[in-house]
Amino acid sequence: MRAMPAIVQLQGVHKDYPLGNLVVRALRGVDLTFDKGEFTTVAGPSGSGKTTLLNLVGCVDTATRGTVTVDGASTSALKESKLTELRLRKLGFIFQSFNLIGVLNLFQNVEFPLLLQGGLTKGERESRVRDIVDKVGLTEQMKQRPNELSGGQRQRVAIARALVTRPSIVLADEPTANLDSGTGNAIIDLMKHLNETEHTTFIFSTHDSRVMSRASRIVQLVDGKVVDDGHGHRTGAAAVAPLAEA
Amino acid sequence: MGFIDTTRMLVLLAFRNLFSHRVKTAIVGMIMLFGTLLVVMGTALVDSIERAMEQSITASLAGHLQVYSAKGKDQLALFGGGFMGADDIGRIDDFSKVQDALSKVANVEAVVPMGLEGATVTAPGELEGALERLRVAVRANDKAPLATLQAQIKELLQQMKEERKVSLTITTDTKDLNEQIAKLDEGLSDALWARFEEDPLAVLEFLDTQVAPLAEEGRLMYFRYLGTDVDLFVQHFDRFEVVKGERIPPHTRGFMFSERFYERVVKHRIARYMDRVNESLHEEDLTIADDAGLQSLIRRSARQHRYITYQLDAKESAQLTDELKALLPEVQGGLPELLAEFLTVTDENFDARYAWFYAHVAPMLEMYAIDVGDTMTVRSYTKSGFLKALNIKLFGVYRFKGLESSDLASGTNLMDMLTFRELYGLMTDAKKAELSAIKDEVGLKDVAAEDAEAAFFGEGAGEVVARVDAEGFDEFADVKLARTETVAVDRTFTQSEVDHGMALNAAVVLKDRTRIKASMIEVEQALKDAGLDMKVVDWRTASGLVGQFVLLIRAVLYIAIFIIFVVALVIINNSMVMATMERTTEIGTMRAIGAQRRLVLNMFMLETMMLGVLAGAVGAGLGAGLTTWLGAVGLPAPNRQLIFLFGGPRLFPEVGASNLVAGLVVIIVVSLISTLYPAFIATRISPVAAMRTEE
Ligand SMILES: Nc1ncnc2c1ncn2[C@@H]1O[C@H](COP(=O)(O)OP(=O)(O)O)[C@@H](O)[C@H]1O
Ligand SMILES: [Mg+2]
Repeated sequence: MRAMPAIVQLQGVHKDYPLGNLVVRALRGVDLTFDKGEFTTVAGPSGSGKTTLLNLVGCVDTATRGTVTVDGASTSALKESKLTELRLRKLGFIFQSFNLIGVLNLFQNVEFPLLLQGGLTKGERESRVRDIVDKVGLTEQMKQRPNELSGGQRQRVAIARALVTRPSIVLADEPTANLDSGTGNAIIDLMKHLNETEHTTFIFSTHDSRVMSRASRIVQLVDGKVVDDGHGHRTGAAAVAPLAEA
Repeated sequence: MGFIDTTRMLVLLAFRNLFSHRVKTAIVGMIMLFGTLLVVMGTALVDSIERAMEQSITASLAGHLQVYSAKGKDQLALFGGGFMGADDIGRIDDFSKVQDALSKVANVEAVVPMGLEGATVTAPGELEGALERLRVAVRANDKAPLATLQAQIKELLQQMKEERKVSLTITTDTKDLNEQIAKLDEGLSDALWARFEEDPLAVLEFLDTQVAPLAEEGRLMYFRYLGTDVDLFVQHFDRFEVVKGERIPPHTRGFMFSERFYERVVKHRIARYMDRVNESLHEEDLTIADDAGLQSLIRRSARQHRYITYQLDAKESAQLTDELKALLPEVQGGLPELLAEFLTVTDENFDARYAWFYAHVAPMLEMYAIDVGDTMTVRSYTKSGFLKALNIKLFGVYRFKGLESSDLASGTNLMDMLTFRELYGLMTDAKKAELSAIKDEVGLKDVAAEDAEAAFFGEGAGEVVARVDAEGFDEFADVKLARTETVAVDRTFTQSEVDHGMALNAAVVLKDRTRIKASMIEVEQALKDAGLDMKVVDWRTASGLVGQFVLLIRAVLYIAIFIIFVVALVIINNSMVMATMERTTEIGTMRAIGAQRRLVLNMFMLETMMLGVLAGAVGAGLGAGLTTWLGAVGLPAPNRQLIFLFGGPRLFPEVGASNLVAGLVVIIVVSLISTLYPAFIATRISPVAAMRTEE
């Protein structure tokens, strides 16, 4: 059907959360396919199920019903340590609150997943870190701790950390929610740029329509259901603004 | 490679985390530090006490091993046995067999025969003592002390007369008292003392038989003694040291008091009282003002100035009166009033009076009821039920170096083996035969004690007949026989007599004391090979309860350490649980980006372990430093009981590698255990936690 191979597939996915005696039905039958190299946003109002969807794709949680296939593996069949391994090897995460490790400096934060992966020499790690930090434009701040950086800088460190392992998919849950709109746009543009230059698949969520508009595909969620799955008006790297200081 | 890098990262993370939670780190670190310090110092101290006590015990009475009969009903308890050595530890009938058997064991340096028993000796009463001195002077034809002794005796008789006059005023039964006063008047009469010039023995006879019985009885002293091969003992128990007189000469019958017993029991009553107050004030830190016991002691003693005055002749009395008047110008009255005032000491004047007493009063007194060189009559119940009395010469006073003020080590007096055996009362075959002959002769069963005495010894003129109050000897209340024997005090004997005879136990002194365990087995084997049925115990067991005392201290220390570490465990655990909660997002993030649970666990464990090792190293270092410092200056024994445990007045603790290792191992184990639960909680944190935003 599609030109590019699917990397993530959701089929009839339901996610229920127990809440006291009640059950919160966060996702109610979601069918979605994400292709390699796509730059997709999951949009929807607060409580519509965006985070839940990303958690399932990100292998930090599993579906109540239906199947989630990530890079060919069905997540419900995997045990905890395998899911962790999958996250480590194939996925990158960008969080709404940046979630850097406060006691480590920029370099160490970015190097951390490489250490978890193992297999690289110190020199190899260092060049990988420098390379990606350079791409997010923070070479000058290499030795600084997160609390010495601005919000936008922190999120760029997070992007570097997510990309340094060269993952197949990067997931970002409302990466701009804690940033002012200018900085937020710059972050999205950076992601878009990296999507195009590194060919990494990006799936990010937002409830901000201006941010939404920068994605090439918008999956619209309402009450745990996909109500719209359309490709945006602007596509391609041409639309990406220069890297602004966030 | 990856592992090393990851570890390095975790170490860095741990350091940074410890540093960023400084307050928590400081509190937990301090607890760990003091915990380790306590373990290092505590175990070092207890180890040192154990070594010191081993020294005390082995070098004073026990040797390294003790051998005694397997037939005994009780356990050997050198320091903790019955008061009169009443424990039944069986006996070694022929000591030489044990000696021969053990001479084959290479590590044995010496085998010393021993026997611990109790007996009594009566210090002569005041009049009795004075009469005895008078008798000695008369026999020796020594005119010099006669005048003084006469004066003393008259003084005593005068006092006895005064007492009776007082009694006359308060009783209606005056007949006896008047008779006694008449006798005392005769004793005081110039006629009697004029007769003394011509026929001193007749006068002595009158005083001994007619007057002396009116006086107070002498003081009965119970004492514990060790019968041993004195030569071997002195040679191999190197803490032995002579304080006064000389050691019992080789192969000679004789006795030595321990310094402690001599000072505390045999010494002049008033001097002992002064010593006791001195000790209470300076060692026990009591004050007269606050201590009712001391106040009562002082009141009683102040009334006992008679114990001083009766020993003084006229010249000494006058001199002491003058000196006391100069010292206490405000006191009205004569010497008794002056002494009463002098002896009523207070916190303020005690030290000065104590010094004054020893400088001015003591030299005029006979300080010890039994003096070095005297012959004393020792009485003891033999195992065959006799009350036995033996005369022994007191050669000197000894102590164990460094343990002089310990009651435990220094309460035991010393006696030669042959005298010991005689007091112990094993009958020789000849004596057995003699006894049964007499029994047959008098039909002993229904003979009263006095008759038995008469039956046995009626003919023995000049022998002292034991007349010891049966009080306190209930178990012997039905004793039907009493027997007294005078032994020529300077009798000597041969080594063979010592060796080929009875002993109760034997001390084994080893060449290499570090090989006690192995040597014990060899000794047991050697005894078995020789066909001897013996028990072998090490010094700790042999010493009785005292030896177990270190175990008690150790137990107390371990319990204290245990409690402290349980507290530490709870505190560390709680603070780590809190840290885990605080770090939920961080841990969730790590898990989300691919960290396995094991890594989270390691991260937490590593963090406390690093703090544990760091604080532990500092604590162990401090502990070692403090202990070494204490080892240099010495830790003073806070009381007399501890002198024994400290092996002397000061303990010089040493820290060993084992103490440091113990400290570090304990702290690391405690760190790990205390982190187990919080670390487990941390591994359960879901990566989803990273996605949650705290809004
Ligand atoms: N752990 C949870 N337990 C119970 N309900 C949950 C939980 N997580 C999310 N929900 C509920 O599921 C629904 C979807 O939430 P979420 O996926 O966070 O939406 P969004 O990210 O779009 O705001 C909401 O109604 C939310 O309250
Ligand atoms: Mg959300």
